[in-house]
Amino acid sequence: MRKSLRINHHPLLGEMDKKVISFTYNGEKLQGLEGEPIAVALLANHIRILRRHEESGSARGLYCGIGHCMECRVELLGKGQVRACLTPLKEGMEIREGSRLPNAITGRVDS
Amino acid sequence: MSEVQQTDLLIVGAGPAGLSAAATISADRDFRVMVIDEFPEPGGRLLGQFHEERNHSWWIGKIVAADLIIQNTLAGVMIQCGVSVYGLELLPDGWRVLTSKGDIRTKYLLLATGAAEVPMPISGWTLPGVMSIGAAQVMANVHQVKPGERGYIVGVNVLSLAIAKELVVAGIEIEGIALPPDDLFAMEETNPVAAIELLTRLSDAAPAPWMRWGGKLAQKMKLSRLIASCFPKKGVKVWDLPLQLRTALVSIQGVDQVESVIVADVTRSGEIIEGSQREIEVDFVAIAGGLYPLAELAALAGCPFLYVSELGGNIPVHNERLKTTLPNLYVAGNITGVEGAQVAMAQGRLAAHSISYDAGWFACEEEPKLLDAIAEVKEVRRSAMIQFHPEIDSARKRIYELFEHWM
Amino acid sequence: MTTESADVVIIGGGIIGMATAYYLAKLGSDVVVVEKGEIAGGTSSKCDGNILAIDKEPGFDSQMSLESQKLVSQLVMELDEEFEYRAPGSILVCESDEEMEAAEMWVNRQKEVGLPFRMLDRGEIRSEWKYMADDIHGGLECATDSTVNPVLLTYSMAVTAERLGARLKTHTWVTGIRLDPSGAVEGVETSSGLIRTKHVVNAAGVWSKPIAQMVGIEIPVEPRKGHILVSSRTESIGTRKVMEFSYLMSKFGKERKVDQLTEQYGVALVFEPTASQNFLIGSSREFVGFDMKINVDVIRCIARRAIRFFPVMKDIPVLRSYCGLRPWTPDHLPIVSRVEEVPGFYIAAGHEGDGISLAAITGKVMSECITGQETTISIEPLHYNRFKKEAGKR
Repeated sequence: MRKSLRINHHPLLGEMDKKVISFTYNGEKLQGLEGEPIAVALLANHIRILRRHEESGSARGLYCGIGHCMECRVELLGKGQVRACLTPLKEGMEIREGSRLPNAITGRVDS
Repeated sequence: MSEVQQTDLLIVGAGPAGLSAAATISADRDFRVMVIDEFPEPGGRLLGQFHEERNHSWWIGKIVAADLIIQNTLAGVMIQCGVSVYGLELLPDGWRVLTSKGDIRTKYLLLATGAAEVPMPISGWTLPGVMSIGAAQVMANVHQVKPGERGYIVGVNVLSLAIAKELVVAGIEIEGIALPPDDLFAMEETNPVAAIELLTRLSDAAPAPWMRWGGKLAQKMKLSRLIASCFPKKGVKVWDLPLQLRTALVSIQGVDQVESVIVADVTRSGEIIEGSQREIEVDFVAIAGGLYPLAELAALAGCPFLYVSELGGNIPVHNERLKTTLPNLYVAGNITGVEGAQVAMAQGRLAAHSISYDAGWFACEEEPKLLDAIAEVKEVRRSAMIQFHPEIDSARKRIYELFEHWM
Repeated sequence: MTTESADVVIIGGGIIGMATAYYLAKLGSDVVVVEKGEIAGGTSSKCDGNILAIDKEPGFDSQMSLESQKLVSQLVMELDEEFEYRAPGSILVCESDEEMEAAEMWVNRQKEVGLPFRMLDRGEIRSEWKYMADDIHGGLECATDSTVNPVLLTYSMAVTAERLGARLKTHTWVTGIRLDPSGAVEGVETSSGLIRTKHVVNAAGVWSKPIAQMVGIEIPVEPRKGHILVSSRTESIGTRKVMEFSYLMSKFGKERKVDQLTEQYGVALVFEPTASQNFLIGSSREFVGFDMKINVDVIRCIARRAIRFFPVMKDIPVLRSYCGLRPWTPDHLPIVSRVEEVPGFYIAAGHEGDGISLAAITGKVMSECITGQETTISIEPLHYNRFKKEAGKR
């Protein structure tokens, strides 16, 4: 078990007072705090890879944290692509990493 | 699509400027005020900031934000979060604002969208675990999740030192704060001399004594070169931070996420000393490229702009009363130039008085308040803990002059 | 201020000006291009990129496109840089039996003039387009239609022309055209000095009208605004261009069975996949002068129209939108012409939405016309004389 990244007792900011809920990421059942951004809940579970670049397949994660850079796009069941840094976590969410896509025009098929 | 919402004043951005403007104007009269923000909760950059004041008490942004939110709630201001604006259209009697939650019609529009960070495309920067320093701040201070156990910060500026200090308080190990490599295109502050010049602006909040007594004197006497020459290769501890002004972060390594960084010693002018490269294990890297005003909505509205490097970038032309050249459109906070949260809050209050005055109620009574608010912004700027740029006043004058010329 | 000289001065650094510069430079002419902004900074970068015959009036118009397609396929070999060329053909789809009948007539007329057109039945549409709405009746195909990245093609022609000796002067605007006592072209006055020349090509697109007025010539070229949406990267919806059949009605200003806003904004589905895994969605047509602001109501109308044909698109995010001004002429044909009244003055403008399609053939015939050679196709139907009586009318 890796050390949690949550800061449970911040010397100046105190403690987070949010309900623990469950969600899934790539099918794996995880826990996070209700209302915190998806990217935060994943980071707390040591998950940094939010997306594979659609063309190159290289791993991508959160960059700006304020919804500006669009690097953190994940697939949220029922919603399509959402920004993980801005989308609040809800009970039962089914989330998948943004995936590499075959390119029908250049003919690259591996995905 | 939901139906069109109506309001008298719409404020885009629930940060220090936007919330202060809303609290000020609604405290004064019966006037519908709505504040919207893309982030899931109000407060903007206030939520992640804290620093030690001159009297050694702590200024905690989260508490300041909570206070503003309460004031607004009591005054009946509607704050809506998770709303993105994607269009602005000038109407004969105000503005049509297109949002992800439907259209809003408003008589007055205040843009308080703040700032964004300048990215630095260092080799390996797309790896998960590399983030802007602002993102590291949001993770640690807003959501209270560590961006990692142990990180490296690249970029030496006011923001990186302030946030590095916050990260250390939160129990995160900072291996080093280093310069970006000097071959990074078009970046300032990639050499030790420039970095020291920048640090001398921290005035009495400076993290090291030589910077404190340096300050303006160092600037005047061009001491930066001398300090850069003397700066020890292994760095010095300031605010308990490992500041490494003779080190550059060359690249970020890892397969699917950050595993380590390669750093190297640099000469006084920033060139890498061959053979000094070494690998240091970290699990995150924070990039601190500085801030620029987030002014896309002003561009969408059709505002003319002026590039002002002292203020961080392209600024929508406005006057001292924070009016833009377009009807019923105002700006406040970092969209008018990069400065600290206290200045942004004073600007928010000024924008509120400016809008009240223009709306024409009790105009003769409002004018003294408006003039007081202008004076207050200047006073807050003058006494700020962190001076973002020594030439802010003269830079701002250039924008006001252009406004007069434009009108 | 300096004075220089050239065999030919081309006004406008868009795709038409660059094609003309390239073909002239290839023939050995000493060419200067004067552009007020950046290369491809106007309409050529605010459009989509196709070399289409499918939407051209059967006969001269469609054959001109076919010639252009041949030239572009050669440009792939000739030019110095790649420009995302493909020739997958394109299709039009029909919403009703009535449109199917009209489509059949269109196909037959195109076949008569020798173009590779054919009808597609419902089954063929379904098997190629798995995301197309179920109620589409069928469509038609033009097998030779090709696609390019218009900005890359313009730049590729620019750099190749430069290598062949052409001089490109960006951020330089034309202040006047100097005529000699006999009324013939003598030079072009620009913001950076006079360029002496005996030949001037007005390739200024939507700005060609004021340029022609500098020599006292009226041409009825007006800006017609069009909006385009860009999707985010997504799973492939399709690999080639598809338009709705009633796009032709919209293009030629004929009546359609659509709602009032769709009619008012001239909205018709145009779908264009790109090599970058996203797609462009058009189209709209409006006369609103030189206003370049995005009209969100038009964007929404285009999106609704696209979702009617591809319901899956309601869940695909729009990345951004842009608009451009197309140089419209009353008969939907460009002006590619010498001007007899002003010896040495030529016009290559007014291509509306066909500038990318017809750039290669336009540049080729313009270079032939200026150097006194026989033109690849007859350009008499494109002569500016046809507008002499009705100049300025719309």
